Amino acid sequence: MDDVDLAVQAGEFVAILGPSGSGKSTLLALMAGLDRPTSGEVRLDGRPIQSLSEDALALLRRHGIGFVFQSFQLLPNLTALENVLLPLELVGADTPRRRAEELLLAVGLSERGHHYPAQLSGGEQQRVAVARAFAARPAILFADEPTGNLDHATGTMILDLLARLRRDEGTTLVLVTHDPAVAALADRRIHLRDGRVERVE
Amino acid sequence: MRPGLYVRSLIRESRGSGGRLAFFVLCLSVGVAAVVAVAGLATSLDRTIRGEARQLLAADVAVSGWRATPPALDALLDGEAGLQRTELRQLTTVVAAPALPDGRPGPTQLVQLKAVGDTYPFYGSLRLDPDVPLRELLGEDGVVVAPELLRRLQLEVGATLLIGGQPFHIAGRVLAEPDRLDTGLSLGPRAFVSLAGLARTGLLGFGSRVYSRVLLRLPDAASTDAAAALAARIRDALPDAEFYEVETHTDAQPALRAGLRRAERFLALVALLSLVVGAIGVAETVRSWLAGRLDSIAVLRCLGLRPREVVTLYVGQTLLLALVGSAIGSVAGLCLIAAVPRISGGLVPAVAVSLWQPGAVARGLAVGTGIALLFALPPLAACRRVSPLRVIRRDVEPLPPSRLVRGLTLAVLGAGTLAIAVVQARSFAFGAGFAGALAVVAAVLALAAWLLARVVGTLARRVSAVRLRHGLASLARPGADTLSSIVALGLGTLVVLGMYLVEGQLARSLAAELPDDAPSSFFIDIQPDQWEGVRGILESEGASALRSVPIVNARLRTIDGRSVEELAAQTEGDDRRRRWTLTREQNLTYLAELPEGNQVVEGRWWADPSRAEVSIEREFAQGLGVSVGSTIDLDVQGVIVPLSVTSLRQVDWRSFRPNFFLVVEPGVLEAAPQQRVAAARFPDGGDERVEARLAASYPNVVPIRIREVLAKVAGVLAQIGQGVRLLGGFTLLSGLAILAGAVGASSVRRGREVALLKTIGMTRRDVALVFALEYALVGLVAGLIGAAGGGALAWFVVTRGMELEWLAEATPFVAAVVLAVALAVGCGLLASLRALSRRPIEVLRSE
Repeated sequence: MDDVDLAVQAGEFVAILGPSGSGKSTLLALMAGLDRPTSGEVRLDGRPIQSLSEDALALLRRHGIGFVFQSFQLLPNLTALENVLLPLELVGADTPRRRAEELLLAVGLSERGHHYPAQLSGGEQQRVAVARAFAARPAILFADEPTGNLDHATGTMILDLLARLRRDEGTTLVLVTHDPAVAALADRRIHLRDGRVERVE
Repeated sequence: MRPGLYVRSLIRESRGSGGRLAFFVLCLSVGVAAVVAVAGLATSLDRTIRGEARQLLAADVAVSGWRATPPALDALLDGEAGLQRTELRQLTTVVAAPALPDGRPGPTQLVQLKAVGDTYPFYGSLRLDPDVPLRELLGEDGVVVAPELLRRLQLEVGATLLIGGQPFHIAGRVLAEPDRLDTGLSLGPRAFVSLAGLARTGLLGFGSRVYSRVLLRLPDAASTDAAAALAARIRDALPDAEFYEVETHTDAQPALRAGLRRAERFLALVALLSLVVGAIGVAETVRSWLAGRLDSIAVLRCLGLRPREVVTLYVGQTLLLALVGSAIGSVAGLCLIAAVPRISGGLVPAVAVSLWQPGAVARGLAVGTGIALLFALPPLAACRRVSPLRVIRRDVEPLPPSRLVRGLTLAVLGAGTLAIAVVQARSFAFGAGFAGALAVVAAVLALAAWLLARVVGTLARRVSAVRLRHGLASLARPGADTLSSIVALGLGTLVVLGMYLVEGQLARSLAAELPDDAPSSFFIDIQPDQWEGVRGILESEGASALRSVPIVNARLRTIDGRSVEELAAQTEGDDRRRRWTLTREQNLTYLAELPEGNQVVEGRWWADPSRAEVSIEREFAQGLGVSVGSTIDLDVQGVIVPLSVTSLRQVDWRSFRPNFFLVVEPGVLEAAPQQRVAAARFPDGGDERVEARLAASYPNVVPIRIREVLAKVAGVLAQIGQGVRLLGGFTLLSGLAILAGAVGASSVRRGREVALLKTIGMTRRDVALVFALEYALVGLVAGLIGAAGGGALAWFVVTRGMELEWLAEATPFVAAVVLAVALAVGCGLLASLRALSRRPIEVLRSE
């Protein structure tokens, strides 16, 4: 990353675009507190997070951040429902099961909650991942190429889901993609090249 | 994380890794079973000995000695209110079946004859067939014998048996007696007669060595203190107290229990060794299990799990599995205890074994869980460092733990293993020695594995044969699982070979120590006036190398002017042996010439005509604390004889000739009461004929056949060896399981390798050959180092522990190495079957 100065507003939908190697994923990891910058500053709600301890970062993610990944990243030894339940259990939600079932219904998988990830198709796995990402009502959701491993039709469905849930929950969404068609849905598009912001739309 | 969620997570984590968990549990339970079996068995036996102490003594207090009980004792006992007494006489003699129809003498057998009073035993009971009181069976002319005697003489109940030449009728069989733990080592089967019956044999008059025992029973409800008080009164009242042993049931067989504790220590450490090998398997399982969980851990971290929560989760998981494995192992250990009486062939009686073993099970659970956690610590500590970034970049490997963490884990591992070894050995010195030796062996094995990888890596590039090159290279590949496999397999080989060698060396030295001119029989308790007649019999049966010496019984009174009681009192608390050496009854002889197999190492043989001289065996002299120039006073049955120590001898005990610690100059002891001992070698069948003729003419003379005694000792050793080898086998099994586990864990990588090799044109056979070479090298290194270690262990035990000569042999070493290689190849290939059978496209597509 080189000289990136970027602010994301609450409730905004920002897409980060760029070819492979342009630094999209690195930027996302820095923003989400998964990685630390060697220099510079990352602020969340005005609070610098690069100097937080691993524990503090973990708690920050637990309570405020959701993730959707290109390779789904469901826990293989948990059922779909349990995958969605886990963030709710971690934050100690009151009625975690009801919320998880509602979310599975919202992504159209209420019948498949007891299936393990290996028993689900790629699109279904990603829908579970989306449900899990929204479960604990995070303020921000980071999505890393959420449609990268899916065919076009399924990808579109996932994007629709993301957009709809974001609207319903009022979540800030930062989405990384190399696909301009996906980025088109965003409020703002940031083009990266060789670790620099090339332009903002 | 809240407890509810924690428990749920533990259960969820166990899903889908059944095979791996089973392997974890198996590795651990094998070792725990060994630990529980050893601890439980030792506790059982100790408890039996203590609990049955009254039965083992058959009385509250017993007074025994090789002399008749003095009148002073009778006077004291008559004054004790409510006290019951009964007498026992024990002696070794030869009995005979009646003459055969053709007039030849019947077969003979050495027996342990026990003459008992009417009220014997006070405690415990005899098991007899028929089941009537012993008193009624015996009468004046009845004898009750062990079944073994009937078998050997081919007699039935109801037949006649000649004891001291007098006919007795066999009234029944004795199956068990309370005051004898039959370990199969006694000099002959048992025969019971009444005291009146013994008097009829005339054996007492012949001057046989008779062990007399007075059994005393206190009034009912008397306390153990009362028994101790009575024993003290008896000790005070006996005129020659040192000639008698006064026991109470609270003494409970101190020598037997001390032996048991030593055996337990040894076996407990062998069991721990198999547990340690199992723990290496546990560490491997945890490592490969966590390696497969890296992605999941990264996701959990993304979802907001803190590093320590991740560690807690997997520590909890390990703890759970360790408990399950230890519990299963404990149950298996209890089953093993139950099977011991059968396996041991009567060495351990079934009544002495109890399955209620809370202590042993607790020990198994604690030691098993503890060692599993300790060994799993390094991989568990590493999972703290898994970065959540891995969800985005697959290639982000966990950071290696810092030097501090690594050092700390090693320190905890070392200290924990030390603590567990100390607990197992019940001694700090032994535990520390064990842990130290283990660390050295493990370090040598690890170093060898590392060197192997280095050397092989360099070598691989120079070898032109393609399969060999690949085999070598795969062994040297970074991250190959060679290290722990070699350590585990090497330890297994070490234990099994070590045990095998110790046992083999013992058996061989027992056989080898009989030189060709060694006597085949000993004859003891020959009275001086019988010697001419006995010699006639021995010579007429073709005796060669016939030797006979007089024996005089005496006790030490003073050493350099200080009384032995004073010296014995000064010996440090636990040095029973020295105290016993000082106060025991000594067997002496007198000789003019230095006997064969003896060598004077200090001083000169009968050099001073002015004094009465004595020559002492070197080590015995060390034990007594005397040297050339010392003076000792001997009490020869009431007469004090002052002697000067003028020479120390070294004795070759293995000649099996009659040899003595103390040899006195001729002209001093000739007039003292004495007996003779003789030794001779007979042609085939001569020993039996001599025994039969002596039984008819000189029934008090006890013949002992050397071969029979040695065979008995070898038999007991073989049984013990079997048990130890079983434990060693556990270790080897764990080692193999670890190799298979390591290979199995790398099956994905191997599958990819097979696919690639096949794609470039290797056949499945070629690939199998490449793998076989790799496993063979693992087996070879483990086998070589394990064999060297096992040899060193056995050498140490045999030459230092048992003070025997080491007899070199090569076959077991070669066999051990060959076997290690064969097992490694077999196990490794079996575990690679899945990888070998995959088609290239399946693997490459899933990339």
